[in-house]
Amino acid sequence: MTDNWTVLVGVKQVPDEDDVSIDPDTGTLNRAEAAAILNPPDKNALEAALRLKDEVGARVIAVTMGPPTATPVLELAVALGCDDGALISDYAFAGSDTWPTSLTLARAGEYFDADVFICGEETTDSSTGQVPPGIAAHLDWAQLTYVEELEPRPEDDQLAAVRDVEGGWERVVADLPVVVAVGYGENQPRPSGLHRKIYAENEFEPIELDAEELGIDADEVGLDASPTQVGGMDTASPVEREQELLDSVDDLAATLHKQEVV
Amino acid sequence: MNVLQSREGPPANPNYDHRYDAIVVGAGLAGSAAAITMARDGLDVLLIERGSYPGAKNVFGGVMYTPTIRELVDIDSAPTERYVAERRYSMLTEEDEIAASVSIGDWHEPPHNDSFTVIRGDFDEWFAEQAVEEGATLITETTVTDLIREDGRIVGVETDRPDGAVRAPVVVLAEGGNSLVSESAGLKETDHREHIAVAVKEVLEFPGDSRKIIEDRFRLVDDDGAAYHYFGKGAVGDAFGGAFLYTNDDTISVGLAYRIEDAVTEKISPQDRLDEFKSHPAVAPIFRDARTVEYGAKTIPEGGASAMPELVHDGALLVGDTAGLVLNNGVHLEGTNMAVESGFHAGKAVVKAFGSKATPRPADAATAGTESAGQVRADGGVSNTTRPSVTVRASDLQSYPDSLEQSFVVENLEHYEWLINRVVEDKQLLFEDLPEALADAAAEYFTIDRQPKQTHGRLAKERIMHTVGGLRGAIKLGWRYRKMIR
Repeated sequence: MTDNWTVLVGVKQVPDEDDVSIDPDTGTLNRAEAAAILNPPDKNALEAALRLKDEVGARVIAVTMGPPTATPVLELAVALGCDDGALISDYAFAGSDTWPTSLTLARAGEYFDADVFICGEETTDSSTGQVPPGIAAHLDWAQLTYVEELEPRPEDDQLAAVRDVEGGWERVVADLPVVVAVGYGENQPRPSGLHRKIYAENEFEPIELDAEELGIDADEVGLDASPTQVGGMDTASPVEREQELLDSVDDLAATLHKQEVV
Repeated sequence: MNVLQSREGPPANPNYDHRYDAIVVGAGLAGSAAAITMARDGLDVLLIERGSYPGAKNVFGGVMYTPTIRELVDIDSAPTERYVAERRYSMLTEEDEIAASVSIGDWHEPPHNDSFTVIRGDFDEWFAEQAVEEGATLITETTVTDLIREDGRIVGVETDRPDGAVRAPVVVLAEGGNSLVSESAGLKETDHREHIAVAVKEVLEFPGDSRKIIEDRFRLVDDDGAAYHYFGKGAVGDAFGGAFLYTNDDTISVGLAYRIEDAVTEKISPQDRLDEFKSHPAVAPIFRDARTVEYGAKTIPEGGASAMPELVHDGALLVGDTAGLVLNNGVHLEGTNMAVESGFHAGKAVVKAFGSKATPRPADAATAGTESAGQVRADGGVSNTTRPSVTVRASDLQSYPDSLEQSFVVENLEHYEWLINRVVEDKQLLFEDLPEALADAAAEYFTIDRQPKQTHGRLAKERIMHTVGGLRGAIKLGWRYRKMIR
């Protein structure tokens, strides 16, 4: 491959979990007032992508699906160092579950002729983790999930990844193009530079793409094309844990023995 | 093929050096007031705030005094909580309370004596938005760590971000009471500890209909609010200061402020002191069932006019708390109005300085001779263009200290400085002996027993006269404080 890699990073705007308050009188969650922020695992995806830019000069483009009010997550991506950002927005997408969402992102991957499509492990507002493998499935690309670290091998058109596995790690090499899901918290995201931040928040205008431009039929996406529906929601009340204060280590050992814990 | 071919994307290295006429450090009241004033007159302003939003770092009490804000912006759209319809001043001994309440009919009418309780987290965010609407650029989550100097003058700021230096001809320092940047840059001396107060504050709410409970407990109707001030041993122990209690829309703010010297030398911590105040028998019932939703602490500069630093420097101005513009004379506790006033005058002075410097605006920056070979973007964007650098000297900014001198700000600070000094001298008498004497005298005067009223009246008078040193003492005391109602 002669050209530099094109790396797409999927990012999403979600309600700030820390801001979701519980009404102490009714016990219900108050999500409406929560601030909209970048999905926290996406910070690790952006960092992994920007490291590819640092290491092999990749061109990094952030993409998000959502209404125009989601633009701040693209601004943040550009502030951090992404070369550009695209907002994929269309009324046809309303109500999409993970299947049409990953289809749409897959088409964006084709549209930008991406070599690598990097996502966070999951989004904190739905926590399915299905979208990155979904993109790979729609495109029939290789996939690297729960990635700790990426090792680009541009001379071989390959991307190696250190993956988190039960009891340790493994190194897996995939041929391009490839979808990557970066493990949450696996790298230390960089802060954005001052001048890039000023630019991104004040002058940057994202690329705007709709379903038609991505070659998507309206009946392929949206609520009707979503095979899953939310059946219902309930809140769980925490169970008060039994506790016992013991004076000495010997007492603790004796108690644990008595309760056949050890 | 795709949009990237035809698109001029983000520049590889955007650079905003010399793109702004002024950088404002801190988007509090003083900073935003300066930003609004400068942006309104056509200057390009970069407003840098360390919090995640303006007001996020604020721990102010408080009642906001709005005469100058009203001049600058549409106060009716501001997120105020309640207007102050009742002011109550209360002396607390360890167990007793003697209080005076002031409630003026006019205060119920707009402009409500320009006194509103506010939650600064909401208010400051709104106030900074007004600066943005005037054209200022607001950057949050960015801490200014140092000033950039060249040939002795200030030419920009250094921030905690990568690529974090940005240059502009003028820097307005509105960093608040804890003015680390101004101090480390040598623009002001570190405050003496007797000039600094420590303030702690809690915001409380009540379970259920918190708004209604507050209205019932404070006897409020609609947007009425109450501002209670407490002095004496029952409020702040042996320290020099006072406690306050303000009603917000559906919460109450309670806190106290006293000299940091007292916090250092006394055994009790400010938060324990606040707990003691909250459990005083005269105030505890107000807090029944309340739960704390917010807790904070801050420092307040209160050195008065003589502690004011040099306000203008080559390329920089000091405003608000950073300039020590807080008035705390016991009765009046004001800083917000002076912050806004100083930001306004500082902004005007910068505008005036630029009026004589005539910098090219961004639109013509591309055609004007620029200092460095900035790359002009094809779409007409100017993110890489620079302007000729301008030098603004302290002498160009002299109208700021001059107009502040003529405003109520310095006049008030100077007028009340003598009072604060007197009160410090008479602290034992005013905050301890006299309240106790008054409480004892009142108890005596109102005693119901089988002695004639006259006897109780005489004993009560004796109790007070003994404390102030007889008739001569009382006259001397009145003379000492005559200027207070000048």
